Amino acid sequence: MTAGEFRLRICYRKTGRLRWLSHLEVAHALERAIRRAGLPFAVTHGFSPHLKAAFGPALPVGTGGKNEYLDVWLREYTDAARVVGLLRGVSPEDLSAKAACYVADNAPSLTAALTIGVYEIELDGKELGPEVVHAALAQVLSVGELAVVNKGKQKVFDLTRCVPKDVRVSDREGGAVVEVAIRMGPEGSLRPETLVSAAIEKAGIEISALRTTRLDTLVEDDEGVWSRPL
Amino acid sequence: MTRADLWPRIEPLLARIERPARYLNREWGSRHDVDDAEYRAVLLYPDTYEIGQANQAIGILYEILNGIEGVCAERAYLPWVDLIDLMRSNELPLFSLESCSPVSGFDLLGITVPHELSYTNVLEAIDLAGVPVRAADRAERDPLVIGGGPCVYNPEPFASFFDAILIGEGEDAVCDIVAAHREAKAAGGSRREVLRRLAQVPGVYVPALYGPADARAADFAGTIPLDGAPPRIVKRVVRDLNDHEPPTCPVVPFMDVVHDRYSVEVLRGCTRGCRFCQAGMVYRPVRERGADRVVRDVLAGLRCTGYDEASLTSLSTADHSQLEEILRRLQRRLSGTGISVSLPSLRVDAFSVEMARLIATGKKTGLTFAPEAGTQRLRDVINKNVTEADLLATVEHAFAAGWRRVKLYFMIGLPTETDEDIKGIGELVRVVLDTARAVTPAAQRGSIRIGVSVSTFVPKAGTPFQWEPQSTIEEVRRKQALLREAMPRKGVDLHWHDADVSFVEGVMARGGRELADVVEVAWRSGARFDAWTERFSLDLWLDAFRRCGVSPEQIATTEREAEEPLPWDHLTSGVSRGYLVRERERAHAGKTTGDCSFEGCTGCDVCGDLGVDVVLAGGARR
Repeated sequence: MTAGEFRLRICYRKTGRLRWLSHLEVAHALERAIRRAGLPFAVTHGFSPHLKAAFGPALPVGTGGKNEYLDVWLREYTDAARVVGLLRGVSPEDLSAKAACYVADNAPSLTAALTIGVYEIELDGKELGPEVVHAALAQVLSVGELAVVNKGKQKVFDLTRCVPKDVRVSDREGGAVVEVAIRMGPEGSLRPETLVSAAIEKAGIEISALRTTRLDTLVEDDEGVWSRPL
Repeated sequence: MTRADLWPRIEPLLARIERPARYLNREWGSRHDVDDAEYRAVLLYPDTYEIGQANQAIGILYEILNGIEGVCAERAYLPWVDLIDLMRSNELPLFSLESCSPVSGFDLLGITVPHELSYTNVLEAIDLAGVPVRAADRAERDPLVIGGGPCVYNPEPFASFFDAILIGEGEDAVCDIVAAHREAKAAGGSRREVLRRLAQVPGVYVPALYGPADARAADFAGTIPLDGAPPRIVKRVVRDLNDHEPPTCPVVPFMDVVHDRYSVEVLRGCTRGCRFCQAGMVYRPVRERGADRVVRDVLAGLRCTGYDEASLTSLSTADHSQLEEILRRLQRRLSGTGISVSLPSLRVDAFSVEMARLIATGKKTGLTFAPEAGTQRLRDVINKNVTEADLLATVEHAFAAGWRRVKLYFMIGLPTETDEDIKGIGELVRVVLDTARAVTPAAQRGSIRIGVSVSTFVPKAGTPFQWEPQSTIEEVRRKQALLREAMPRKGVDLHWHDADVSFVEGVMARGGRELADVVEVAWRSGARFDAWTERFSLDLWLDAFRRCGVSPEQIATTEREAEEPLPWDHLTSGVSRGYLVRERERAHAGKTTGDCSFEGCTGCDVCGDLGVDVVLAGGARR
């Protein structure tokens, strides 16, 4: 905790073609936007001083996000709505601030607090009935666990823990949309598209493309109630 | 005009390739208002985005072109091989970043030619665009392909692939080129007429309007103009950098790129007169930007880009007559912001270390110096006016000030070099280590590191060494082995250049138009990204030389006669042949030559021939 600093939580979007940025690229771009906006940001103490900011859970390359978060520490109190306006003026639409509010300096970090990701996976394909996709997902979920091989290493996800809510599938022009909530954790999170791919592959459903967007990144309280961090 | 937006066809490929951020556009500072321009230009760097994005010339031209009424400029880079292969199999052409439209649909395709190993990438880019690689095969609908950049002082190996090549600086010339092209187009001129019109623009070389003086001679007999083209093309040069604003809102990349910082060119040209250095010869005279402008531009650029680092770039920034003032002012303005200032190159002197100390923020990462040769005799031959005493005093100063790492640049294969000179590099590094240890507290001596980077000398056109033979591959390997033997092990990180790559670089640096066939054959056999060492194949090149009946040894490793016509004789950087001959003679006599930005004129003839003068912002250098 540092006296005289104000911890501002900013909600931003990573959409459109900028979904192809990596987490590091997003972080650099947002830090540069903060400097462009001329915000009175605090600087870390230490050997190589830099802008003091902390980011929420990473989004993979190719995955968009509609409500992503970062905390930035300011030296001077600046009206939160004004900060959002300043940031929007110096950012591309597809990577821009949506809202902001101050949080207590001793609040848990974003990575620790944000444990739920709500995702939308758009599937492109001919005659993709939502019922068929839903049945395929239900089939995989009923097994209770999913083995995923990544870079030669196998990892088994406990699906009852990782997928805490019912999966929803709806119709859309040219395909279907899957909405799924995933419980994220420091030990590695299940990628929603991995779950969906496993399901449709097993059911022998063909798709031509798949796009993942994280709709919300949420806090789960002790009673299991989910809420936005802002 | 509405254009095909290729994005819907490119995006589905991104999940299958590395680093999609290369292809996104939408960076801060990129221009989106590109529709409806009457004249469209695309500026291409023939390598990947992360290599080419920070190129300052493209940044400058992008801004100038976009400032012309009715003109828009976009950027393009060569995709990495993973995407190129997918594009070819999906029949997708090379695209521009801003509008993601086919490069072949632009009026002008400007390509910077950054180094001799980029020639196959130039072909890859033109071909991927769907444009014939030979200028002679292009039709009226194809864009005008214009080259520029550091390699143009011997453009002959790639001349056949370009409609025109700009020799020299682009700030004014690019406007003249676009105006001439628009005029000729408006008048309904054919491609040939456009080229004839362009050849009248000062500094513009139209290769199709030049041919061999004697086509039947077995040996090259010189180049002559055809069709009324000027007999000699003289480089374009900007009189005063203060007349040109550097871009203060350049494109800010999303991905990590080389030179990922805000750069301001603080001076152009260098007259130290190192005889191996092409940049030092061809970018004359020295022109400094004034301190007020530099400080203003750095602050404006940082504000507009949001970078946390600014770099003061040039061939020799420590030579700027107002450097200390600039750094002190920037330091005052930037303290407490986490923003740092960096200098790309340092002179071997205490002043440079003091300047580095002025801008060091906590962490002292490392300092870089270039003694270039291991003995005083050889340093005199190459006119690197640095003594061992200078170097040791500088090292002592740096380590006493807290630095624990320095990097030293050397070359092997220099004219008159003997084995003693190679061993001398090892000796010099040993003394540098001793000097560093002596002023470093005992507990910290373990962290002393001397980086030693040894490149192979490649004689370049337009320098006093343009007649010198390059060392053969075998000779370079032998010298590298000798160097490893002579180099202290502890505390030293030794790196050297690949001998095979330097050989091909040398052939391309001084060959003539006969190399166009070689480059094309090599490219058709799969050569591309030759500057990426892991992708370079000497065998592929040797095979191309063989198939074209060209002797690479004759070009690179054989000494040229003083009277022999050279492939680049019809172009000039303004430095006279007489000066180059004199400098070569002085080199062989071990005599050094001064720097005209500090002392008197050394007679290179640039100022007289080009009607320019040295511009020193602070009145005098120190």
